[in-house]
Amino acid sequence: MASISSRRLAKELAEIHSEGCPVGINLVKADDFTCWWFTIEVMGESLYQGDKFTLQFRFDPQYPISSPAVQFVVTEGRQAPIHPHVYSNGHICASILGNEWSPVLSVVAVCVTLQSMLASCKDKQRPVDNDRYVRHAPDNPKKTQFHYDDDTV
Amino acid sequence: MSTREPLWYCHECNAEMRPLMVPDPVCASCHGSFVEKMENPSDDPREFHRGDLGGDDHGIDPFLMLLQNLMSRGMSPGRRSSSPPQNTGSEFSFQIRSGSNGPATFSIGGARTLGGGAAGPGGTGNAGRVPTMSEYLRRSGEGDDGQPSIAGPLMAHYLMALLGARGGPMGDIFGDAAQTGRMGDYVFNQEALDQIITQLMEQSNTSRPVPATDDIMQNLPREVLTEGSSMLEKDCAVCKEQFKLETEDPDEQVVVALPCKHPFHEPCIMPWLKSSGTCPVCRHQLVPQPEHHTPPPRDSGSRPSSPSQSRGSRSRSPGNDSDSGLLSSLFGMMSGGSRSSSNRTRHTRSTSNPESSSSNSSRDSERHLPGGWDELD
Repeated sequence: MASISSRRLAKELAEIHSEGCPVGINLVKADDFTCWWFTIEVMGESLYQGDKFTLQFRFDPQYPISSPAVQFVVTEGRQAPIHPHVYSNGHICASILGNEWSPVLSVVAVCVTLQSMLASCKDKQRPVDNDRYVRHAPDNPKKTQFHYDDDTV
Repeated sequence: MSTREPLWYCHECNAEMRPLMVPDPVCASCHGSFVEKMENPSDDPREFHRGDLGGDDHGIDPFLMLLQNLMSRGMSPGRRSSSPPQNTGSEFSFQIRSGSNGPATFSIGGARTLGGGAAGPGGTGNAGRVPTMSEYLRRSGEGDDGQPSIAGPLMAHYLMALLGARGGPMGDIFGDAAQTGRMGDYVFNQEALDQIITQLMEQSNTSRPVPATDDIMQNLPREVLTEGSSMLEKDCAVCKEQFKLETEDPDEQVVVALPCKHPFHEPCIMPWLKSSGTCPVCRHQLVPQPEHHTPPPRDSGSRPSSPSQSRGSRSRSPGNDSDSGLLSSLFGMMSGGSRSSSNRTRHTRSTSNPESSSSNSSRDSERHLPGGWDELD
């Protein structure tokens, strides 16, 4: 019997294939149930108009009980958006990826949330502690205990 | 080349070396020509250099002299250290009265020695073993080998030992470990400092979900699916599958309803409750959760818009906020003494939950620490 994780991901993937992603979000690759890539762009007027970013999801066997490890891809010429909650190594400080994760959320839901996080950005800036964080950040952003404090962006 | 061949000394590197003869001797490392053959032991250029306090690379010595002068002039000496002064240099001590630990005596100079010049290990493990000023000043007149040199880490060690080992006001910041003056408790580079700051921030800001207890999980109402059950039209929000009668795993025919009435497959919800005692759908708390960030239900990434979102007015950036959290916890530690510290560290981060935040701030006056600015907004 397939694990809960792969059954759930298979279901999400089937839905993406049958119904498509929300506007501005596109599946790049989902060859297995460990790592998926999406591109996201912010529709309409925003500080990121015309920019396209790549999001990487990494799943462990406990998904969806445990959150996916989500970050922007910063290799192969791809860039992380400049945003107060996005570190230059692609790591994202968003509560729904940490202690506000719920198994009710899905890959597409996370994409949409991050899309709206970018859309509502008013100040294109790196996090204040970007340099310090990036210097010693773990490979997996889930190992970072982010500290969520700003609900406005 | 014979090993007995006299060494040369480069006055630009201040180091012994073997010169390159091209054809005049030049320093092998800096290629400077200000080199000297060390033939006459009574005229050793190394000794000459050591005695030269005005040399560029000895800037630290005048600094230490100045520091000592300043201290002896600027502060009135308290009681002398109990150990009788010996002949290794002038000794000087003064007292600082700190709130919790009584007077602390700082000594500079005096009889204690560093022992062998290896600064680090020599100073470990013993609160009384602070390298003394005289050890740093006593630079000439010693043998060539094993002479302590004032490198950055050694200087830092000296200052940190002064600050930490004597339980002065600064000692409180560094905690008990620093008061024992162990070398390993100090950091000398950015990386180590970063790690400590990160550690502090994690300690003071953890808000990990609290799991449900076994009792709670065992006592949840369970329903075994039967023909005609109303559950058969509903979905489990964890696996997103509809409840159904024919399943490979018989456990999946057991439906658990949380107190908020949301139903789940038993094998879907139990692992979640072990990590967080909340309803995945509505975040109903089966056990009290950390006071911040227990937001109203948020579905499929839509922005929260309930009127209770007063926290939406907060606009601090992550870095600023982390800093204030760190600083206020530092301030919390520093104020030490009789006040209990458990409340304080907890409440410095409670601004995110509207209810608890307002009630706490009116009730708990302790959170307004002198010098803290966690409540600026």
